[in-house]
Amino acid sequence: MPDPQRSATNPALAKFPSAVLDAFERYRATGDTDAVHEVVVAVVQDYAPPAAPSAPPLTDDTRLIEDLGYDSVAVAELVFFLEDVFDVTISNEEILSVRTLGQLRACVARKLAAKTSA
Amino acid sequence: MNPVVTGIGFITPIGNDRAGTERSLREGRHGFENIQFLGNPDLPVRVAGTVKGFSVDSPNWRDWSWPSQFSVSKETLRGLAPHGLYAVCAVDQALESAGLTDNDVAEDSSTGLYCASAGSAMLLHHNLAQVRAVNGARGNPMGVVSSISGTLNFNLAARYRITGTVCGFVSACASSSHALGYAIDDIRLGRLKRAIVVGAEEMNADSLLPFAHMRALSRQSDPALASRPFDIGRDGFVGAGGATVLIIESPESARARGARAMAVAAGWGQAADGYSVAAPHPEGSGLLLAMRRALADAKVSPESISHVSAHATSTPVGDKAEAVAIGRLFGSLGRKPPVAATKGLTGHGLSMAGSMQAAFCVLSIDGGFIPGNPHLKDPDPECAGLELPRVTLANRPALVLSNSCGFGGSNVCHVLAAPGTIPS
Repeated sequence: MPDPQRSATNPALAKFPSAVLDAFERYRATGDTDAVHEVVVAVVQDYAPPAAPSAPPLTDDTRLIEDLGYDSVAVAELVFFLEDVFDVTISNEEILSVRTLGQLRACVARKLAAKTSA
Repeated sequence: MNPVVTGIGFITPIGNDRAGTERSLREGRHGFENIQFLGNPDLPVRVAGTVKGFSVDSPNWRDWSWPSQFSVSKETLRGLAPHGLYAVCAVDQALESAGLTDNDVAEDSSTGLYCASAGSAMLLHHNLAQVRAVNGARGNPMGVVSSISGTLNFNLAARYRITGTVCGFVSACASSSHALGYAIDDIRLGRLKRAIVVGAEEMNADSLLPFAHMRALSRQSDPALASRPFDIGRDGFVGAGGATVLIIESPESARARGARAMAVAAGWGQAADGYSVAAPHPEGSGLLLAMRRALADAKVSPESISHVSAHATSTPVGDKAEAVAIGRLFGSLGRKPPVAATKGLTGHGLSMAGSMQAAFCVLSIDGGFIPGNPHLKDPDPECAGLELPRVTLANRPALVLSNSCGFGGSNVCHVLAAPGTIPS
């Protein structure tokens, strides 16, 4: 649950649980890629349709559409939100090549690395 | 066969459920509060019909809150405008009051959805400002479906998995009366068994201020004086937000599942003024014809009407035109039906207005009362000839005529009847 006493360093994440805010702040402070992955997983879960109780845990091989029930508009929303969170731009061509959670995490990591080296 | 009303739902300035709304109507309690738009105390808009218990000022759905008795999922919220949230809460109420569940209407090809709203000016403005700020490079993927006219149909159709008819109506303040009329026709024609009729609007700076620039809004700062239909001191309408929903169905369908008919949708009519883009015909000519057509459709005479729910928004020109039209319809009768202008309590819900009035008429018929006009102090002589009770009457109306008028001279009238009043 979001912590109402806590102000997020990133307004886009304001309603996310404290652990996600902690991860984002860790990424900001240290560039920790594991922290980036934690945020990406939380956002993917947030935009996914409700999971069945028996749904398997997310792995890098989890497919956004086939396994999590995303449709094309939800994928567009997910990308728009991640662009806001990490201040990156992800092109249509790039997102069309993403099918799994692992590919999405790698895509975001590449964007952040490119931003850092720019 | 005329459809029957089996369910109603309310998110209005005077109540967020049937009991609260009916109590306010009976007791003559208004739903107005002082407001200030855009941090500018000098704006001439100081009073509005506010929706209580909701916080939807932010363009980000993640910031919204609503009364705890309503359950709205994140998946539903993502595509909604603020008035769409009101609508979901009102549809849930209406289904429950009709004894229906989500599963009863989901993927049922005999259930249709008829919606009316002006869209969300607030979200449209916000989304386009985002797009323009980056020279068009990116924008919210849900920007279109959450903001344009039709946002109600898109979202409610998906939320309730409607597979019969899904459509929307944009005739300004006659919109939801049009929605109700065409829903009635589709049931009469046997195309559907059941229809969910929804009117909803937002009340915020983006939806309301443009009417101030037309000089259509009251400049009053006293909530008890701002909306005074038919009063000589009226100076414009007071804006309102919310959502109202009616569930109508064929009498056979209602009977088969043991649903109680609260009222009968006995007939409707429409006619246009052919006069002005915004102002009504001074003699209310289109409205008079629409009322006559509604009575003819219901196969009833003016003498049999026991109550008129007036469109009257408290504008100087509009109320006078309606008074002339009502006066002509009932003029030769010895006994004139009591006229209630409920916008004196709620304010003007624009696209929602017609469905709100129709649902109020159902409350009158089902609850056994006729609302009064408690803010009316000094009737305008130009509106003379109307029977305008100040206080609620403890009469159960058998036949009610409900009027709606919209920009461009659209006029739509409905006749609602107590069950058993007229042959179905």
